[in-house]
Amino acid sequence: MSKPTSPLQSLLPALIVIVILALVPFFGPSNRMLSLAISAGVNIVALYGLSVLFGQTGILSMGHAALVGVGAYVAAILARDAGVGFWVAIPLGGIMAAVAAAVIGIPSLRVSGHHFVIMTFAFGQLLTIVLTNGGDYTGAATGLDLQFPVMVLGNRADDLVPYYFIVVGFVALSAIASWAIINSSYGRTLRAIRENEKLAASLGINVGRHKIGAFVVSGVFAGVSGVLLAYFFRHISPSQFASFPSIYLALMVMIGGPRLLLGPIAGGILVSFLPEVLNLDPVESRILYGVCLIAVILLLPNGLIAGILQGWQALFKSLSGSGDRKAAANSNRPSGASQ
Amino acid sequence: MNAILDIKGLRKQFGGVAALAGVDLSIEEGEILGIVGPNGSGKTTLFNVVTGVYKPTEGSVSWRGRDITNLAAHEISGAGIGYTFQQAMAFPGLPVMENVRIACEHARKSSRPYPWTTPQSLLDFVGLSALADERAGILPFGSLRLLGIALALATRPSLILLDEPAAGLNDRETATLVGLVKQFPEHGISVCVIDHDMKLMQMLCKRLVVLDFGSKIADGPTQAVLNDPKVLEVYLGGAL
Repeated sequence: MSKPTSPLQSLLPALIVIVILALVPFFGPSNRMLSLAISAGVNIVALYGLSVLFGQTGILSMGHAALVGVGAYVAAILARDAGVGFWVAIPLGGIMAAVAAAVIGIPSLRVSGHHFVIMTFAFGQLLTIVLTNGGDYTGAATGLDLQFPVMVLGNRADDLVPYYFIVVGFVALSAIASWAIINSSYGRTLRAIRENEKLAASLGINVGRHKIGAFVVSGVFAGVSGVLLAYFFRHISPSQFASFPSIYLALMVMIGGPRLLLGPIAGGILVSFLPEVLNLDPVESRILYGVCLIAVILLLPNGLIAGILQGWQALFKSLSGSGDRKAAANSNRPSGASQ
Repeated sequence: MNAILDIKGLRKQFGGVAALAGVDLSIEEGEILGIVGPNGSGKTTLFNVVTGVYKPTEGSVSWRGRDITNLAAHEISGAGIGYTFQQAMAFPGLPVMENVRIACEHARKSSRPYPWTTPQSLLDFVGLSALADERAGILPFGSLRLLGIALALATRPSLILLDEPAAGLNDRETATLVGLVKQFPEHGISVCVIDHDMKLMQMLCKRLVVLDFGSKIADGPTQAVLNDPKVLEVYLGGAL
């Protein structure tokens, strides 16, 4: 843990997990389980963007579901008005959500910390209001239907199993994109801003521009996630992109661990499946989410995966009884924290 | 000698308090200039205004004949002025090597030959190579100061502003620091240093400026300034 690993080594565990997830349909899961897994995967794509924003740059967005909504509505409106299908909607949804992120980010990132969180929350609410009052164009409160098939190599891929594979593919792409950002000079620049804005500026880093840039990058992920969501549910409405979904996204990224490559996968799966596994109704699950959020913030500031690794190290240390000083120093922070 | 940095009538007002009450100051090419003054005399404010952290209320700063008064902090760095902070000298959560690597990746383009173009050469120069993989946050204070200096050097400055570089250092660490800073002019880096420590100033600087209540009260050769009755009064509360 204490030795810095090569960049490729940090990608490997995530890819292994994704490959295992890709094998799930072969074990004959129920349709209910597969649907939950798809919606978890859709969220994970957005979470990878959020981990660049929050984990690397240190900026938290509480209105991220609104950017997912931009992608979803772009997909639905393009299909209805222009006959544009899934594979064209994916890049366009990403681009439009990125543009929306720039529009929100340029004024909002003039303020920082909690003020920015409140601004993103307000913009998220604003989008819901705009969509609800958009008349026939946005389908108002009822939302829009999406009839277009998803085609792969001339075959329909709408059924749960093929669509699951498509979503897992996008999860893999997002993980690789996020990994590439983390290990690039751009990623280091973002971490510098997270660690010390004043020092970053003194080294010639344009802090304001890079913060907006990180928000825009996270918007691309959110937009793609939105297109995936629209083609999965086949019906979208404003409430899917309001404040609660935004809070869930923030919760997932925090629970999983914003600085770890496996964090978004862990957070997305846990938050999606926990109520199902524990058999909770929506009200109970909201209470559970609230408790989880508080517990994670107080007890595991680096997320669950980091917490487990930390616990494992502590256990290993006490079992071996060697009291290795270096391991102790590093167990305060997981290796991923230096990413 | 020609002035590379020229400060004219610089004023910074915080509400009713003038932290800088019209300061004129020039820094010559290749010199190590010291600025001293009691707490609250405006030393750090002067640095903050020059480096774009604060906008001045009045006055101008020109750098090699170019007006840089209202440039943003990252543009000042790009123009060739590096600086170190009293506090928060490094990126605490990142490894030492990554700290320096980030600074090198944002270094300004300069055709001037420069001795420290790689992260490793900087770490070797300040003597932190052995700690390259450690998180900056766990370094002892003295090493953290040296890392701060390495970061500022990475930007390839022609002028470096050091804000109390010896604060919190022991004698041995201070001696190391003096040894490093004295080499800067050979590499085309002029230095302006703020500190309370008169011994350090005597070791480093040929010229000394004294600030008191935001005004310059003395400016000249170090020994002459230290014997100036006005300076003695500020520091010792009256003539000896």
